[in-house]
Amino acid sequence: MSFSRQAAVVVIGAGPAGLSAALAAREAGAEVLVLDEYAQPGGQFYKQLPAAFRVPDRARLDPDYTKGDALIARVRDRGVEILQDTLVWASFDAGELSVTRQGTSGTVRYESLVVATGAYERVVAFPGWDLPGVMTPGGAQTLVKNQRVLPGKRIVLAGSGPFLLPVAKTLLGAGAHIVAMVEATRPRAWARHAARLWGHGDRVHEALDYRRIIRDAGVPIRFGALVVEAHGGECLERVLIRDCDRDGHVAPHAPAHAIEADVLCVGYGFVPGTQVTRLLGCAHRHDVRCAAQVPVHDDRMQTSVAGVFVAGEVAGIGGAHAAAAEGKLAGLAAAQRLGRAIDPAQIATAQRDRAHHRRFAALINDLFPLKPAYFDAVRDDTIVCRCEEVSAGDVRAALAAWGADLNCVKGVTRCGMGYCQGRMCGPTVAALAVRGTGAQAGDIEAMSVRAPIKPVTVATLAELDAGQ
Amino acid sequence: MTAGDVIVFGEQVAISVNGAPMVAHRGQTLAAALLANGVRTLRRTRRDGRPRGMFCAMGVCFDCVLTVDGKPGVRACMTPVDAGMTVTMPERFFGRRGA
Repeated sequence: MSFSRQAAVVVIGAGPAGLSAALAAREAGAEVLVLDEYAQPGGQFYKQLPAAFRVPDRARLDPDYTKGDALIARVRDRGVEILQDTLVWASFDAGELSVTRQGTSGTVRYESLVVATGAYERVVAFPGWDLPGVMTPGGAQTLVKNQRVLPGKRIVLAGSGPFLLPVAKTLLGAGAHIVAMVEATRPRAWARHAARLWGHGDRVHEALDYRRIIRDAGVPIRFGALVVEAHGGECLERVLIRDCDRDGHVAPHAPAHAIEADVLCVGYGFVPGTQVTRLLGCAHRHDVRCAAQVPVHDDRMQTSVAGVFVAGEVAGIGGAHAAAAEGKLAGLAAAQRLGRAIDPAQIATAQRDRAHHRRFAALINDLFPLKPAYFDAVRDDTIVCRCEEVSAGDVRAALAAWGADLNCVKGVTRCGMGYCQGRMCGPTVAALAVRGTGAQAGDIEAMSVRAPIKPVTVATLAELDAGQ
Repeated sequence: MTAGDVIVFGEQVAISVNGAPMVAHRGQTLAAALLANGVRTLRRTRRDGRPRGMFCAMGVCFDCVLTVDGKPGVRACMTPVDAGMTVTMPERFFGRRGA
């Protein structure tokens, strides 16, 4: 049985950006419906505990839970409905989304749409990255924070970027043994940006807090090094790291340093989840700082498609604070477009907040850039596409034959054609294309997105047809 | 790791994994329940038979796909455990394992 819903303002995603957008639009008087793929609202940042878990005294939880609780409660108190387990997988007509909810098909109509679909972690391929035990830092954090299960006994936390710090805090807080932290950049490269911390004292304080926790736990930190291989039989047993230079290149004779570990959490920041905005036909541009495609938007977060707004990580990686400011801005603008009266001062405040947090995000992106050399460890026999088991050698051969056309590479090799639809292999394939063909990163078109943007069963499709 | 007294897991339920009984907690994701029971390899890839485990834990990578109650392609990281759930871990589709 298919279902049909509509609302003046529809928000996709119930993380910090989506919830803020919903709240702002609702407080401006618009009717709002939120669609969220997960079982609980909060997104990855305010991830809630499973409903079946009991918390005798919520005051004893980590403040992140209670902040998320409060925001979700405010949104619900204002009469906003959040549909959980709801995946937006297509948009065949303007103003209409195709969704599945707990195995049921539906359509959702909107007048204004706020896309707050967040981001996913950027993973860089290397030999052995598909072994059980190798996972993303966010994956390990979710296991511990949300599921209360430790991923393993000896953990290596590696990659680049500030996200490794809260992950370390969460893991250590749960009693995990982090045997090493490996950060690809070096503190001395950060020094020249120090002045840009002005006005962001709260974030400096947060970073110092992480540093204290990690130091007190005695976790060895290695700067200027990369994970180059992971070894093991059935599961991860050993991680090899090697020193790299300031450009991320591993020195030809740098010795490999082996660390015994059963878990390797490795990530190099985040990739904006632009599948929905691309599906909707919004114009995108290559953002150098994010090293990814991001939707083009105006100073009120409206994309090139009238009535479609973006907020948060999908608009470029900026963290939860920027996401909240952008959500507010997008929510206000979405409501205003529908004729709701908005105090210009509210818009101006949200824009100022946004600019402040985006300045900090720009600093973070400059401190921890994605360096092309991070992909140096990819050998020809390295699996690049985890879903379809396509090797780097196959991708390189396709690039050599067809040039830097990722859709062509996809068609020839099946790389990016599997379940994840290129979300995991995308950064590596793009890097191989730059390296292999000499094309500029910004000139390489991302693999095209088409419905369904996540797998949907044929039964679901048939149901949609029967309902019309 | 135990939830301690700050967080109390959902009630214990019995599920079946590859025909063997396993104890899990209601509300836990299948991926977490399997990991808590020491299961790290969730499936084998269909071409090369390579072991795979949980990778992103947020429903993006599709590496943790299992067959749950006869339905293939179910993400273990997105699926809450329920009493009586029957789970099969995919082996290779083509050829025999180790062949």
